[in-house]
Amino acid sequence: MSEAGPKPRMRSRRIAGRNQAGRAGATIAALKPSSDRPDFLGFGLGLRPQHYSEILEGDPPIDWFEIISENYMVPGGKPLHMLDRIRERYPVVMHGVSMSIASTAPVNYDYLRDLKRLADRVAPRWISDHLCWTGVHGKNLHDLLPIPYTQEALDHVVERVQTVQEFLGRPLTLENVSTYVQFGTSEMAEWEFLAELTARTGCFLLFDVNNVYVSAFNHGYDPETFIAGIPQDRVVQFHLAGHSHMETHIIDTHDHPVCDDVWTLYESAVRRFGAVSTMIERDDNIPPLAELVAEVNKARKIAAGVLGADGRNGRTQ
Amino acid sequence: MGARNSHRSPDPKSDFAALQERFQRGVLDHDDSVLADILAGPRERRDVLLAVYRHAYRARLVEIVQQDYEYLLAHIGEEAFAELAHAYVEARPSLQPNARWFSHELPEFLQETRPWRDAPELAELAALERALSDAFDAADAPVMTIERLAAIPPTEWGAVRFVPHPSAIRFDVTTNAAEIWVAHKEGREPPAARLLEVPAHLLVWREDLVPKFRILEDEEAMAWDEAVAGLPFGTICEMLAFRADPESAPTRAAVLLQGWIVSGLLKA
Repeated sequence: MSEAGPKPRMRSRRIAGRNQAGRAGATIAALKPSSDRPDFLGFGLGLRPQHYSEILEGDPPIDWFEIISENYMVPGGKPLHMLDRIRERYPVVMHGVSMSIASTAPVNYDYLRDLKRLADRVAPRWISDHLCWTGVHGKNLHDLLPIPYTQEALDHVVERVQTVQEFLGRPLTLENVSTYVQFGTSEMAEWEFLAELTARTGCFLLFDVNNVYVSAFNHGYDPETFIAGIPQDRVVQFHLAGHSHMETHIIDTHDHPVCDDVWTLYESAVRRFGAVSTMIERDDNIPPLAELVAEVNKARKIAAGVLGADGRNGRTQ
Repeated sequence: MGARNSHRSPDPKSDFAALQERFQRGVLDHDDSVLADILAGPRERRDVLLAVYRHAYRARLVEIVQQDYEYLLAHIGEEAFAELAHAYVEARPSLQPNARWFSHELPEFLQETRPWRDAPELAELAALERALSDAFDAADAPVMTIERLAAIPPTEWGAVRFVPHPSAIRFDVTTNAAEIWVAHKEGREPPAARLLEVPAHLLVWREDLVPKFRILEDEEAMAWDEAVAGLPFGTICEMLAFRADPESAPTRAAVLLQGWIVSGLLKA
């Protein structure tokens, strides 16, 4: 049993610092506004404690921030204090890692209450989590675990998403995760599962371009097939990140710059889904802010190349 | 909410639930029965792919423990800490969704488990690190100010009760764990661990968003503990008078109180 090698990312939990407005940056207009579909926010970044002071003192050219919800689901102190200051200046979205939406364990209402309390404070543009489970029988593995793509699992997740959406009083946004195994009982492809899920629940999708790349490599399918299988009007956010290549499989470590193949796939995704709020998600080996701003700008440039700088162009090809 | 009478309610005997149970056992207990559910990858064996999850589970939680107890790690070294963290991960599976609290029971684990329980400074160093983490993100509350205190009519002083700020944590240590903490903080060689002749009284709290701690003299520790227990200020003054020189007791009490207020230790 291998006990070596990189571990997949999971971004909850940092007590960094323990010992110690509607911005107008977006140049691409929303492709297809619909009643409850959130606005296009432009090009953003995952908020990390290492960058708090640089952000607040430097006014970096970033349109919005995504927070890891659990890192702020704490009673008080510096994390919430910094978050309050950042949300005064930037649109914020909430991204969780512990909802365990696909678990067969009972819904954890304590968790949902905490999440809702945070949402009341932050007023996020949307709330996302992952299409995965994190544990059963009261245990939490703090990982984004894979599911079989069966009708039974789909029915179960549909009901859970409806329950959570009712509780939160808003649509949920769900992200595709990187997976390393596939189950023999699966009856449909991951993209078919996601398409059905969004059609039946009205949830939105967070399309993690890196995760599609990782899972496609690990399971031997063409990532373009995944993109083509996702409904065009349900994707409200892109994640871009790096990974670790292990030759026979790829591990989603989120600790490297975005690689060329993922940038190429991003271009395809923009071509299909249009102007979608895009962000760089770095969870480990956090570099200085300027390096991440450069990656954000690269995303801007690629999207502008597809959509035209004014964004009204829709698709150029 | 959510209690539906649907036939689709989670059925513990469903295939999906049974698969999740097997998968979890596969990760937590190294039970291989879930391998029968998993397909081989295009380039890799199924057991190697399952091992990605097994490894990730442990590596991630060990890393969390390392980050939460950085001076304990510095104190016992990476190898010994890895052994401790792995033992903790196996002994105390996480029972809550937020990994913020995963390592919270490490001081008790150290206190109860061999070989670590034979070196009591380790549990106490961990307890101090935990208290600082807890103070860091404890609930916010407005703090008592001198101005606010001055507004209390002198006739009511004796009856005033003080409420500690939610970040305040008081505990005693029997070893020089605090001295060891300070040495690591300053990047110095830590002193050898030793038992103190009498326990030291630690007070941990958050001031201006920054967690802090200090060691209290016996008299201050007693006064603080009684104040936190809800005794009125007049009674605390009487206790100080009983304890030592009655003449100076009111002044001593006032000095302590002023120190607590200036440090943001009391709730408004």
